[in-house]
Amino acid sequence: MSTSTTSAPPGTQDPPPARAAPRRGGRAAARTGWRRALRRDWQLYSLAILPLLFFLVFRYLPMIGNVIAFRRFEPGGSMFGEEWVGLRYVQMFLNDPTFWQVFRNTLWIGGLTLLFCFPIPIVLALLLNEVRRRSLKRFVQSVSYLPHFLSIVIVAGITMQMLAGDGPVNHALGLLGHEPIRFIQEPEWFRTLYVGSEIWQTAGWGTILYLAALTTIDEDLYEAARIDGANRWQQIWHVTLPGIRPTMMTLLILNVGTFMAVGFEKVLLLYNPLTYPTADVISTYVYRSGVESNSFSYAAAIGLFEAIIGLVLITSANQLSRRTVGTSLW
Amino acid sequence: MVKPSRSYRVFQGVNGVVLTLVVLVTLYPFVNILARSFSGERQIRAGEVTLLPKGFNLTTYEIVFQDSMFWRNYGNTVLYTVVATAVAMVLTTCYAYVLSKKNLKGRGVLVGIAVFTMFFTGGLIPNYILVTSLGLKNSVWAIALPNAISVFNLLVMKAFFENLPAELEEAAQIDGLSTYGTLLRIVLPLSKAVMATMVLFYSVSFWNSWFSAFLYMDRTDLMPVTVYLRNLIQGATGGGNAGAGTEQLSQVGANIQSVTIVLTALPILCVYPFVQRYFVSGVMLGAVKG
Amino acid sequence: MKNARQLSRRQILAAAGFVGLATLTGCGSGDEGGDGKDLSKKQDGAMKDYRAGQQFKAAKPLSFSVLHNNNPVYPMKNDWLFWKELTKRTGVTLKPVDVPLADYEKKRSVLIGAGDAPFLIPKTYHPSEVAFVSSGAVLPVSDYVELMPNFRDKVRKWKLEPELDSIRQSDGKYYLLPGLHEKAKAGYSLSFRTDVLDKHGLTLPTSWDEVYDVLKALKEEYPGKYPLTDRWSTNTPFPCGALFSYLGQAFGVRAGWSYDNISFDHKAQKYVFTGAQDAYRQMVEYLRKLVADKLMDPESFSQTDDQAVQKLLAEKSYAMSANPQVLVQEYRYNLEKQVEGATIEMVPVPLGPAGPVVLGGSRLENGVMVSSKALKSDSFVAMMQFVDWLWYSDEGQKLSRWGVEGVTYTRSAGQYRLKPGISLMGSDPDAPKDMQKDFGFYNGVFAYGGSWELVSSMFSPDEKRFQDAMAQRRQLPIDPAHPLQSFEQEQATLWDTPLKDTVIQNTLQFVLGKRPLSQWNAYLAELKAKNMQQLVDLHNKAYERFKKENG
Repeated sequence: MSTSTTSAPPGTQDPPPARAAPRRGGRAAARTGWRRALRRDWQLYSLAILPLLFFLVFRYLPMIGNVIAFRRFEPGGSMFGEEWVGLRYVQMFLNDPTFWQVFRNTLWIGGLTLLFCFPIPIVLALLLNEVRRRSLKRFVQSVSYLPHFLSIVIVAGITMQMLAGDGPVNHALGLLGHEPIRFIQEPEWFRTLYVGSEIWQTAGWGTILYLAALTTIDEDLYEAARIDGANRWQQIWHVTLPGIRPTMMTLLILNVGTFMAVGFEKVLLLYNPLTYPTADVISTYVYRSGVESNSFSYAAAIGLFEAIIGLVLITSANQLSRRTVGTSLW
Repeated sequence: MVKPSRSYRVFQGVNGVVLTLVVLVTLYPFVNILARSFSGERQIRAGEVTLLPKGFNLTTYEIVFQDSMFWRNYGNTVLYTVVATAVAMVLTTCYAYVLSKKNLKGRGVLVGIAVFTMFFTGGLIPNYILVTSLGLKNSVWAIALPNAISVFNLLVMKAFFENLPAELEEAAQIDGLSTYGTLLRIVLPLSKAVMATMVLFYSVSFWNSWFSAFLYMDRTDLMPVTVYLRNLIQGATGGGNAGAGTEQLSQVGANIQSVTIVLTALPILCVYPFVQRYFVSGVMLGAVKG
Repeated sequence: MKNARQLSRRQILAAAGFVGLATLTGCGSGDEGGDGKDLSKKQDGAMKDYRAGQQFKAAKPLSFSVLHNNNPVYPMKNDWLFWKELTKRTGVTLKPVDVPLADYEKKRSVLIGAGDAPFLIPKTYHPSEVAFVSSGAVLPVSDYVELMPNFRDKVRKWKLEPELDSIRQSDGKYYLLPGLHEKAKAGYSLSFRTDVLDKHGLTLPTSWDEVYDVLKALKEEYPGKYPLTDRWSTNTPFPCGALFSYLGQAFGVRAGWSYDNISFDHKAQKYVFTGAQDAYRQMVEYLRKLVADKLMDPESFSQTDDQAVQKLLAEKSYAMSANPQVLVQEYRYNLEKQVEGATIEMVPVPLGPAGPVVLGGSRLENGVMVSSKALKSDSFVAMMQFVDWLWYSDEGQKLSRWGVEGVTYTRSAGQYRLKPGISLMGSDPDAPKDMQKDFGFYNGVFAYGGSWELVSSMFSPDEKRFQDAMAQRRQLPIDPAHPLQSFEQEQATLWDTPLKDTVIQNTLQFVLGKRPLSQWNAYLAELKAKNMQQLVDLHNKAYERFKKENG
């Protein structure tokens, strides 16, 4: 990394969003703009050919099948459905009161997960970064990402064991003179339980990206900060955090966009009819209603609905991020 | 060097406690699983196994190891992981590099094309028909090609590339390096940490994945080990139509899940230290200088 | 012969009722039935005079593709004696498409959806075939049962028509060839620690009132423990699925795993809502009493099976739901190792207000779907005859269960006996060979249904005792056919789940005392608000329609 010593501090400078060609200026100008861009950057564009082909064939082509959200699909029949039914399936779920309940639950669980599971890996990475002994640091880190390798069945099993009537948590409560709580059966505990197990499983693994980002920070910046008399806190605040900001913002935007995608399998394993009021999310409701097997069309309509929300969310998050911190996905 | 302030020393102490806690909380279940995988069925069912194996027993390992299908499927897993990761790395790197050029005309559209696919996906059946009609079924390409770019990884990598000092590339171009040359000789060597991370992310996800193979492979000898073990767990613990009954199977039912975790997680865990090497370089440099 | 066949075809078609089809306008027209009716060109390899009880032998070598559910307990091998013997006897070679048992349904649905399915699709549980009906991807097999003399013979002999009616679709046809049982096989009941009962001078209960008394007595002996804990609560929409199922049966209602929103009131001759029945309330009250008196562990309704079994093995509880397999393999086997002198027995399902009855419908098992593509094959007739022989003839069933006489088993005085050196499901741990693993017999893909004599020949002593007792019970009449039409089905699906959720959730709340039973009427009002009446009406309409159209 010694070559980077001559560079300006990364992260602290984002190039102004100037464009090679002016946006407006008539069609002819645009055409010459493209021609110029192609002549100048054809090598770059050529690198994009294979990936674009990938997206076209393996992502966009199968997407045509989503037309069944508006057509009646019958398993074993035409892949594009049998007949147009318009917004029938969309109306079906919009008019279903249970759908809105599970929609709310999804927002709650997704929101809480984002609120806790996004910052914790950053904190953990910063803590790890402050460990001076390299062997210790490596050890802690290697151990902390082990839960990532456990299947959700196991994680759910461990959670249930911990919270059982005669499990360690209730033992501890007993020592404090508290009656045992049947956490698994109490709707008001479900979110805590879900987010807690999610943190446990993802926090360590989440640090990897930040640790990788930390390596790109120029050591000279710390040096300069120290010469300026900055203490460790100030160094973290003024050098470390700005250094990992692009990674942080990218992940934040991505997480905001995908926060509706609550872990289906985990909810399925942890919930029960008593906790449906808080635990039931869109995917589990759709699964339980057997819609998957009975009506692909209905499932596709809900899928499109979720996709639109996701797209709106990520676009807004991206705009907001560009305006406030100047980092954005596009 | 500035002497660490008092508050910083307190912080170091607290940090030590917090990290120790993290280690305990994350390590315990794993050690427990390791212990269970070597324990006797009676002790497992009675809930006696905590940190050390009780009633040492290797039956489940023996049964799994004796099955030639297990080894063949394990081989498949290695092959699929290596090929798929290689394909994914090439495509993702190319595209991420293109996207990282802020002045590139049409960049917004190119990013949009990728981001759109994070939310809008094709259904199961269209995908199956596509893979079948491309003639990819029963080959490694059925696994590697449809999953070649993870948009998440793509955008993370792009963020890293953007963060590289622009002057270096400008200098390289002035020196007459082509775009390809810049990518290969300048950008990639500077991005070892993120490349290592991406290799880790891709390989772990391909290693653990089972659904593509399950869907696109028609023969048991083409399945990866994840499908094999998934099926074994189901058979030993799910009951199924025809029950088990022998002492052996009862033992298998008791700890096949633990054995599975040990067998699938351990090899990929061994990859990690190599990846980790690239994480500390910057900090290490600082430590030496400091 | 040919004439006779066509006549019977016409009769069947009339019975099926094209009127029903006519109302189904626009709902899939992929049905090949129309041009596939003439079977004279599809006789390749078929037997001219194939009768019940006769050995099927294809006139020339044939092969059919079959979806094979690969059970890891006996992974598929190409050199199984089963394949060889099958080809030897029938001249048919099966070409299995191998699918892992875990997620079998998923792959099946994709294969059928993509038009890539093999001809024969076994191991299909009703009602999962319903999804494929309207597209015409699977064959309305009821149109072709005249090719299957053994099947018809068994249906007639064992009076299975009402059961078959229950799987008919709105066009009056059925799309699944189910496994046929002469007698219903009961599965689950309560098991008790008999040594503990003996110690305190208690006897095994025969009724639910006695169950209460026994648990109460145990509670007095062990005040700190819950005498009953239960399992089968995770991964199912209805926790304690087994317990509710056989407890409900004793009260004459469907609950637990058997729960269905709709059940038929045979007195009133119409469909009613299950979770609103008085008998259902009585069942809930009974269980509430068990929980309120701390006789039943409240965690029963949310714990994993492992947790439950651990409580039994650690002697924290003395009773739990069981089936003959887990009784032997999980409870007795482990208890014997763990607790000195422990014994555990399963009781015949205790009797309740409904008397000695079992719920109807359990004489059908999972079965075979036939892909519509098969109809285009020249050897279609031979295939149906083959299916008939393998799955429905006495000889075929004997082959898939016991294998080859003299090689895998011997038979004397009506008793089947395994050849020495062969083990079946752990019967002889020292045997070098295994019936399933090494020979491919008693494979869940091919062995189901059968006469009581054949089915019971494979029972363990425990199961035999249990099944013999249960076989004395009277079977409740089957709910009459009430198939919904495709669009109705979509609507019903959307009403069904919220209603079911409400019922199950409140059942548990009542039982656990989170909601007092005095609020039962409020609960009924909630059901009404979730379209209970509309759902019941929909099914009654379908019932009347089917009755009118099919007599």
